[in-house]
Amino acid sequence: MIDVRRLVKTYGRVRAVDDVSFRVQGGEVVALLGPNGAGKSTTIKAVTGLLRPTGGTVSVGGHALERAPLEAKALLGYVPDRPYLYQKLTGRELLRFLARLRRVGDAEAKAEAWLAHFDLQRSANELIETYSHGMRQKLTFAAALLHDPPALVIDEPMVGLDPRAAHDVRHLMRQRADEGGAVLLTTHSMEVAEAVADRVLLLHHGRVVASGTMEELRRRVGVEDATLEAIFLQLTEEAAREAAA
Amino acid sequence: MILLAMRLRGALNALRRSPLRALVGVIMLGGIFVGVLAATRRGVRFLEHYPGIGSVAGAVEQRSLEALFTVLMVAVAFSVLTGAISTLYDSTDLPFLLSLPVGPARVFGLKVVETYVNSALLPALFTVPVLVGLGLERGAPPGYYLIAMAALLALYALPVAAGALAALVLMRLAPAGRAKEVATAASVALAAALVLGMRALRPERLSNLTPEQFDQALTRFAQWHVSWLPSAWGSSAVWRALSGDVSVDALLLAVVSVALLAGVARVAALAYRAGWFRSLDAASKPGVVGALPPARWEAPLARLGPAGGVVVKDLRLLARDPAQWSQLLVLAALAGVYFISTASLAAQMQSFRDLVGALNLMFLGFLMAGVGIRTAFPLVSLEGEGFWLLRTAPLRARQMVFAKFWGALPVMVLLGGGLGVAVAGRLGVAPVLALASPIAGVCAGLAATGLGVGLGAAFPRFDATSPAEVPLSTGGLLYMAFALIYAALTTLLFAFPAYRTLRAPGSFHWGSTGGVVVLAAVAALTLLWTVLPLLFGSARLARYESGRG
Repeated sequence: MIDVRRLVKTYGRVRAVDDVSFRVQGGEVVALLGPNGAGKSTTIKAVTGLLRPTGGTVSVGGHALERAPLEAKALLGYVPDRPYLYQKLTGRELLRFLARLRRVGDAEAKAEAWLAHFDLQRSANELIETYSHGMRQKLTFAAALLHDPPALVIDEPMVGLDPRAAHDVRHLMRQRADEGGAVLLTTHSMEVAEAVADRVLLLHHGRVVASGTMEELRRRVGVEDATLEAIFLQLTEEAAREAAA
Repeated sequence: MILLAMRLRGALNALRRSPLRALVGVIMLGGIFVGVLAATRRGVRFLEHYPGIGSVAGAVEQRSLEALFTVLMVAVAFSVLTGAISTLYDSTDLPFLLSLPVGPARVFGLKVVETYVNSALLPALFTVPVLVGLGLERGAPPGYYLIAMAALLALYALPVAAGALAALVLMRLAPAGRAKEVATAASVALAAALVLGMRALRPERLSNLTPEQFDQALTRFAQWHVSWLPSAWGSSAVWRALSGDVSVDALLLAVVSVALLAGVARVAALAYRAGWFRSLDAASKPGVVGALPPARWEAPLARLGPAGGVVVKDLRLLARDPAQWSQLLVLAALAGVYFISTASLAAQMQSFRDLVGALNLMFLGFLMAGVGIRTAFPLVSLEGEGFWLLRTAPLRARQMVFAKFWGALPVMVLLGGGLGVAVAGRLGVAPVLALASPIAGVCAGLAATGLGVGLGAAFPRFDATSPAEVPLSTGGLLYMAFALIYAALTTLLFAFPAYRTLRAPGSFHWGSTGGVVVLAAVAALTLLWTVLPLLFGSARLARYESGRG
């Protein structure tokens, strides 16, 4: 569903993403992991069309973002790490606006369903400027899911969510994949990645240093019962040593 | 001092990051300085050599200085209200600063200094060349410049302190969480009323006075002295400094200013806590629960698809955001000033009316250019940090830009056309000009909208904190340049029918070959100025990268 090939993104002399390739098939959750500045968010922004790749291609559902951006974007739902929304709209008005933007049929019923799912019905007529960070994050999830996208891209999904909402979001990501959707997420939470991801992609200084299922990664580090956190620490240290050498 | 040094370091770093912008700023400031200095020196010389003015010249200059101080102090007072709320309550660095081992009074002292710099720096910079010019013309001693600058700084501290105190009171009295909106609305409404009021006085009537009446008016003006006004203290301090004296007024001004600023910092520290909790209350008030259907007026727009959705959203945001709707008040004031100004020129002679009517065709272009930069140009940038929602949606940049264009067009065309009809009607111009006037207004409205939205999309500023801030950019300068070129070209085109009408009334008809050619040329020019910027803006916006880095 999401196909990233030889993605390169440079800012002046800095290569934020350097020859990154991966696929997210329908029915799987892929987690992009890496230390700060590894290129996770840049990769995600290139996948959603917020940034234009310096090199390489990104396709969604077979539609190249460069050539057919509308078709590709129609298949995507996106939750950014910072949920900036229109402060002077109510939650319900925001969903209505996005439904019109994406030509969603039966929009009112779908919006109500997602508002109920994220427990936002009581505050749906309030201006977004009065929402807490967690409520905004939940509304952003509702906005991303409103058009029932086959591919979901989530940047740091758990930031600001209360335990109940965090549990629901984890369940939701897994459920989307189990229903045939593709989910690509970045997270600093090893626990979340280990719990929901089918495959993990480890980025360091813009390059993929490891990828695979948990079993494959454990074999790579040679520790049978290694946690994802231990794998992450070992592989990033190795990558840092190689870069220094 | 450490806090202040930290702020200065930040400002210097920002300048280092964009040296070109800093250079342009310095050149512009230098230009303004030289221009104001030259104008002041010329003005002083004119007064000194005005026939028979004698000893009144000095008094007139002093009163003029007082008037300048008063006007600029009022301007500072208007702008400081919202600025003070942003700086004293909404600064993102306040929680961090308050967590440092520094007393809250010092933190708010820094914030008051910030408020002062944000609100009074530009008027102060504008006043400096006036004082320098005065000193040079009157051969002032070196100490004059020191005292004059100190008096200047102290003078603008007064409206800053008063505005900041008003902001603190407003935070207490305004509906919770709405203080900034009330402040914005109050500031803009007062400013608009003031501009309209001043224009309604029709200062051009002075030109109708006989020389004797003018001399009498000048003498009365020279005697007009309100000693309790701070602006009078300021001008008195400056005047005494011209002869090397330090006046009581100067000391009074300095003491009152420092005391007021320190007092504001103290009160702000005390009020912050209470105000902050109060503003948080806004989030917990229960509202209407349950699904509210879309408003009826949304239905026809929603049928237009995604672009209609964007227009509905923009209209809702316009109605709710005082920073946006207050621009309409400015626009109304501008239109009012224009109408009063042109209507006041209505004379008995038809030829003079037609002459003013012909000039009106030119001025409409300039007026709509000024309106467009406040209304059409910021539209794309007003998406702000929510732009990612549009960027990740299946919506072409062109659809978005044209949606903004269609949203702004009715207001601009109605304003341009309406003013064209109203001014031509009030002046009672010849039929040829009566028809040209609304055509010029509508075309200027169309071009200003296309140019504004298009160049606004090509040079967006999603980080701007208010619509008024958006045009302060390369795009804004380009807009003004092209808008003025459009106004000049349409003036040239309309000059032909206007000239014919003035030379031989009734000799020109719009149905003639010449008339059709002029109309076609104006239409083609307008179309060019409307469509090309929209396409250029769409193409640039499509390449724009959100959240870079």
